[in-house]
Amino acid sequence: MSGVRDELDEDDADPVRMRHRDLERIANAALRVGRALMECGASVSVTRLGVTMTARGLGAGIIGVRVGYASIGLTVSAEQTTITRMISVGGHGVNHRLDMAVRALAARVAEKGGTVASVNGDLDRLIRETPRHPVWLVALATGGACAAFGRLLGVDGPAFAAVLLGGTIGQDMRRRLVVRGVNPFVISALVAFVAGSIGGWGARLLGSASVDMATIAASLLLVPGVPATNAQTDIMEGYPTVGSARAVAVGMMMVFAATGIWCAQGLLRAGA
Amino acid sequence: MIDLAAQARIVLHQAFFGGLAAAGFGVLFNFGPRSLALCAGAGAFALAVRTLGLDAHWTLEGATFVAALATASVALIGLRGLGAAAQAIALAGCIPMVPGAFLNEALLGFFTISASEAVNAEAAILPSLQAMLRFIFTLGAIGAGLAIPSHLARRRGF
Repeated sequence: MSGVRDELDEDDADPVRMRHRDLERIANAALRVGRALMECGASVSVTRLGVTMTARGLGAGIIGVRVGYASIGLTVSAEQTTITRMISVGGHGVNHRLDMAVRALAARVAEKGGTVASVNGDLDRLIRETPRHPVWLVALATGGACAAFGRLLGVDGPAFAAVLLGGTIGQDMRRRLVVRGVNPFVISALVAFVAGSIGGWGARLLGSASVDMATIAASLLLVPGVPATNAQTDIMEGYPTVGSARAVAVGMMMVFAATGIWCAQGLLRAGA
Repeated sequence: MIDLAAQARIVLHQAFFGGLAAAGFGVLFNFGPRSLALCAGAGAFALAVRTLGLDAHWTLEGATFVAALATASVALIGLRGLGAAAQAIALAGCIPMVPGAFLNEALLGFFTISASEAVNAEAAILPSLQAMLRFIFTLGAIGAGLAIPSHLARRRGF
């Protein structure tokens, strides 16, 4: 037993191993910053910059950063020692306030330096404490956005009210399903069906002349506008792999949404 | 004169609902209260420019490109103190121009055409293809219009 202890002590004293441990902690902290940025809807170039600034601010040199759709890899160095680490990325959402706060953290670390513990602590705090709008307000605002979209597409007054209701209920349903960990594409189909049905049936009951458009407008909350523009940004900035992956995900999302709308319109026609 | 008043009403209508849609999606994207007001302004501006372009008989894609370009440029210059947030606000303002309804129309049309007992498939395929192409080109116009000003200014912010 004491032989093992001696061996560990000897390892701790090894400057190469110590450096490896430091670099690993720096790499992991920088990767966590990158993951937060990706999950908040940042482009690849912003994510790369956030990872690079954090790692450099913590004292490591950068050999390379690879940002993928579902993971980020980072190789950092110190003198002759290098280490490569990877982190998985969760669902790509949009969270503007957290995005900006994490960027500010990376910029602060790049400018003033810091410790791995302080970066991890600050990041945890930001993820935990960055304000979010109340869920009822998000649902209502999303429904309002769908209804406004509907007006831009030419739906009439009665359909506006139906789309508002459909979009609001659809967003609340989406949030509940996300919390339960349901697959996002399945969520898209289910929400499109429910929101579209409410929009369509509501418009019909209210005597609207734009029932079909109300069905579509109520499900427009599912159009992934930010990922779609991010896909173009990534391709334009020299990251076609992630850009293509985003575009495929957008296409798949819309195929599932259209399936839900198709079912909703089928029921509407059957009930006519 | 009457035409001008009617045109102004249409522009105001589109600007109002464009601003409302941008602010609504801004809440979904978790913009802060002050930024939400700017999102609404950006959405109203974008839709006003696009509507004026359409009134001038530009194509939807052309009008959307100019509207996105103008919105991004105004945000870049007028909101330079906000740094990277200015670009995010311009993007939120352009979200009401994302032609999701075209994509839905195209996909629903393709579903109909691919049915085994499809009737008049030849006639149905053209509107579906047209809607799909309009979606792709309009989305491309928004992306290009948003990207060009920040790349030219070399101030993409962080």
